[in-house]
Amino acid sequence: MTYRPIPSTAPFSEEDITLLNRVIAPSSPIQRAWLAGFLAGLDAQAGGGAQAAQPARASKTSEPLTILFATESGNAEKLAADAAKAARKKGFKPNIVDMADLTPEDLTKAKKLLVIAATWGEGDPPSRVVHTYEMLMGDTAPRVDGLQFSVLSLGDTAYVDFCAIGRNIDERLEALGGTRVADRVDCDLDFAAPAAGWIESTLEIIAPAQTADAGHVIEVDFGARQAVVPDAPAELEVVDHINLNSSRSDKETIHLALGFEDEMAYEPGDALDIYPLNEPALAEEILNATGHAGNDVLRDELIRDRDITTLSVKTLEKFAAAIGDKDVQALIAGGHARDWIAGRQLIDLVTAHPVKLSVEQIFDITRPLAPRAYSIASSRKEFEDEVHVLVAAVRYETHGRQRMGVTSSYIADRLKKGASVRAKLKPNKHFRLPEPDRDVIMIGPGTGVAPFRAFVQERRAIAASGRNWLFFGDRQFTHDFLYQLEWQEALADGSLARMDVAFSRDAPQKVYVQDRMWHRRTDLVDWLEGGAKFYVCGDAKNMARDVRATLVKAFADVKALSAENAEAAVRALEAEKRYLQDVY
Amino acid sequence: MTEKLARNEYLKEASRYLRGTLAEGLANDVTGEISEDDQQLVKFHGMYLQDERDLRAERTRKKLEKAFSFMIRVRIPGGVTTPQQWLAMDEIGRIYANGTLRLTTRETFQFHGVIKSNAKAAIQRLDSVLLDTIAACGDVNRNVLSASNPHQSGTHQAAYELAKNISDHLLPRTGAYREIWLDGEKIAGGEETAEVIEPIYGHTYLPRKFKTVVAVPPQNDVDIYAHDLGFIAILGEDGQLQGWNVTVGGGMGMTHGNTETFPRTANVLGFCKPDDALKFAEAVLTTQRDWGDRTNRAHARVKYTVETRGVDAWREEVGKRAGVPFEPARPFSFTGTGDRFGWTEGEDGRSHLTLFIQNGRIKDVPGGAQMMTGLRRIAEIHDGEFRMTSNQNVIVANVSPEKRAQIEQLVAEHGLTSEASAIRRNAMACVALPTCGLALAESERYLPSLITLFEERLNALGLGEEEIIVRMTGCPNGCARPYLAEIGFVGTGPGRYNLYLGAAFNGERLSKLYLKDVTEEEALEALQPLFEDFAANRQSGEHFSDFVIRQGYVAATTNGPDFHVNTGPQRLAAAQ
Repeated sequence: MTYRPIPSTAPFSEEDITLLNRVIAPSSPIQRAWLAGFLAGLDAQAGGGAQAAQPARASKTSEPLTILFATESGNAEKLAADAAKAARKKGFKPNIVDMADLTPEDLTKAKKLLVIAATWGEGDPPSRVVHTYEMLMGDTAPRVDGLQFSVLSLGDTAYVDFCAIGRNIDERLEALGGTRVADRVDCDLDFAAPAAGWIESTLEIIAPAQTADAGHVIEVDFGARQAVVPDAPAELEVVDHINLNSSRSDKETIHLALGFEDEMAYEPGDALDIYPLNEPALAEEILNATGHAGNDVLRDELIRDRDITTLSVKTLEKFAAAIGDKDVQALIAGGHARDWIAGRQLIDLVTAHPVKLSVEQIFDITRPLAPRAYSIASSRKEFEDEVHVLVAAVRYETHGRQRMGVTSSYIADRLKKGASVRAKLKPNKHFRLPEPDRDVIMIGPGTGVAPFRAFVQERRAIAASGRNWLFFGDRQFTHDFLYQLEWQEALADGSLARMDVAFSRDAPQKVYVQDRMWHRRTDLVDWLEGGAKFYVCGDAKNMARDVRATLVKAFADVKALSAENAEAAVRALEAEKRYLQDVY
Repeated sequence: MTEKLARNEYLKEASRYLRGTLAEGLANDVTGEISEDDQQLVKFHGMYLQDERDLRAERTRKKLEKAFSFMIRVRIPGGVTTPQQWLAMDEIGRIYANGTLRLTTRETFQFHGVIKSNAKAAIQRLDSVLLDTIAACGDVNRNVLSASNPHQSGTHQAAYELAKNISDHLLPRTGAYREIWLDGEKIAGGEETAEVIEPIYGHTYLPRKFKTVVAVPPQNDVDIYAHDLGFIAILGEDGQLQGWNVTVGGGMGMTHGNTETFPRTANVLGFCKPDDALKFAEAVLTTQRDWGDRTNRAHARVKYTVETRGVDAWREEVGKRAGVPFEPARPFSFTGTGDRFGWTEGEDGRSHLTLFIQNGRIKDVPGGAQMMTGLRRIAEIHDGEFRMTSNQNVIVANVSPEKRAQIEQLVAEHGLTSEASAIRRNAMACVALPTCGLALAESERYLPSLITLFEERLNALGLGEEEIIVRMTGCPNGCARPYLAEIGFVGTGPGRYNLYLGAAFNGERLSKLYLKDVTEEEALEALQPLFEDFAANRQSGEHFSDFVIRQGYVAATTNGPDFHVNTGPQRLAAAQ
């Protein structure tokens, strides 16, 4: 008899299923019979009755449910998994679909659909789903008559077009003939609670009818509730803290090495969520402006738990409502709120309108302080109990005030060697190294080089036979060449086969990584035709777009393709998951 | 028995006429460095690989290699540039270098801080105004100096032309420079012999650097005694050029603690006719090519070869090689080595303005003189030339009467000046820290503040108008010719200098070590009684250096080997 593995729909985690399969697959009939008896006996004892265990729903009665996610940072994907677990409990047979892979057939086949979609930057779809999003919004989108759906959308009120993508998908599905069974929920950075609520209530609405002869059902908690509550961050120790830019540079990029005692099973490509502390002076200023000077308890809460910088229209509205400030109300009524918040932060609002606020009102106009994800720059194979990240200090001035990135200035200015940092692993399954013998091309200007340091370390440690080619760029060769000595070593020991660099401020003619790519286009196309994977990390706004456009041009030039065919060549790479991005 | 040659000799031989692996090294853009061997070869192309020493301490921790960059030295025979060339220099300085220009003691420009990826662009910009950097450094005949401001007389014009002709005639002929820096066509090597490729130098060039100057008495602004080869203009009663006295064997460099090495003043070999000058130049060079010591680079300059073989043997050999014997040297005399500042009228109605450039550094000082901008503005309207002097100053030369007022206005607007105290306008420092790899102590960045302290003391003694030559270098190699200063400082370590006294005001006599390893305070304390004595007891017209010898403070140096003899204070100043 051939062994039929435990299905992935079984009420166990993926790891547990693997473990069980490992035990059961090679087991003898006698072993299996014994185990069956043992388990039956176990429940008989525990329950005090004679109920036999049964699956929550017999598989023949399970109803398919499609859970579609569009993710950039991994949050939507994690929520999709949470929803799937909860759905199984309700008797669904969930099918999780990455929107990057969505086909029109997936949509037309679906009867019930949950969508969890992130909005990125200024109202953009996550980079991986750009093409399928265009398909959905475009003329070729299929009709979805009869589809029951609901949308959960993730966003950030600090950006102008809050949750635009979720909203657009929601409207689009309705326009294509779908039926909205539950209202869309738009989540800000503190999405955990509203997302959990949406999952529960939506599943309740669309849950399949209970069958009469359900029999003895053991309700198994799959941990859905646990999953949507973020795991507590770990306390990591700062073991190294170096500004990699020269003292003559106008940039400041911190190499932060954190040591962990308990296992942190990160992989190259993953990110680390770092929980910042706000600048104490800023918290003090807000306390002073809101009539809470000397309230140390509130001060500590503001520093640790509240986002006291972001200023959104929503904040403005709440503030105006709370204190009935005529000026702010007029600003909103006159449609000038958006203009006014540009380049301003919460401190500008409370100092421009100093008024006593209650603690509740302060909490109402601030969001919980969210962690900031940084691509991991190390491999555990080289640094067993350390995790490294690369952090660019953000500093600028607007409206006569010096501004600083919350997390980056926390790291750059207030962390010292020996200090403790709250951080948590944030896996990124979509940015992984390929099999060892495959070539890898990495485009990582500025802090975008971080994951590639992890890649190179990993591939060196496992003696991967595939070649590694890195493109790096920054402002000045002499002052901003991040990890220069390490790259030189990697080139010397062969763990980097090639490296091309572009520095934009060394000569009148600015040179960027995409210019170097163009210069090397013949070899680039050659590597890609040989099966290389192409990775891009760094600035989403300009660099990632220019890099992609350059690759299209490179194909057109080297292979003498029309613009359309060159575009198709790059799209094919994307479809094959050979063009991967980690951009921010 | 054949001795093992110095390492650089094998390097030159294997370099395929100065190519080495420079092209490959330039293409590697992950490092600002080039290979150790190429660092030697690149000197022949006019460049030194250096690193910013102020940044050294932090670099490794920041996972950065040393802050490498090139110092690029231009070849400008006689120091003459057109306004168009000046504008190119200015542009290179701003765009590719560290935002400044450095005039050197050898009448040329140096760019500092040119990173490897910009070196070619800088050289190509130079090429666009017909300038190059070939042989500005390296074991070859380097930039040839000429007495400044030739427009004052026909003799000066002849001096400039001789300098230019020597420079061109003794230029390496290899195509390496054109290939590497100007993307010139690669010439298939191999079959051609050294006689074809380098008819004068051969394939191993010279044992060591070779410096040539042309002087016009009574000014010795080029410091003729400090150079391997020199020509002194000899004028007839009618003021016409009769020919040249030829000198050999001057040189500055030495090594601390090694008395086998020493500075040396040149000897006069004899007189030659104007038409024979180039032949004699080549003959001196080839004599050194064949006689020079190729086993020990610290003993390879012409000065040591002259010591070893003797002046008479040189005179005979050079005459033989030139195909014309020397005539006996003709009389001449020098009065001083400094520049004359301010406006002077030429013989043709045009005029010349010598500007004081402290230590040759042209830059825009935030909140201060906008020298770089000012000179650029002048170059934009100037219809004459610019001339760099051997004292690191610049002459706006050959100004037409129509332009003079305009230039005067630009000078005033940008804080350019011909004015400085007597001691400051006679002071000179080498570059040293932070770029020069040889520097043991500060020089250019420090001397101005030391001069201020001298000014205070001399003014208090009524010596404010006294011309005293002060020179400082950060190491004993002598770029600012410190052993020919009345007061010379040579760096021995951070904040410490050897103090030399007694070199002749006109450059004929070397100085003598007076005190070792002194700090600023110790130097000032030691010099104060000498200044006081000088103020009280000098004879009319007597220079400070002559005074300290006459008073017996320090022994006179007669020539090179004598340099390390009778050093130190010869009597206590307080004992007088």
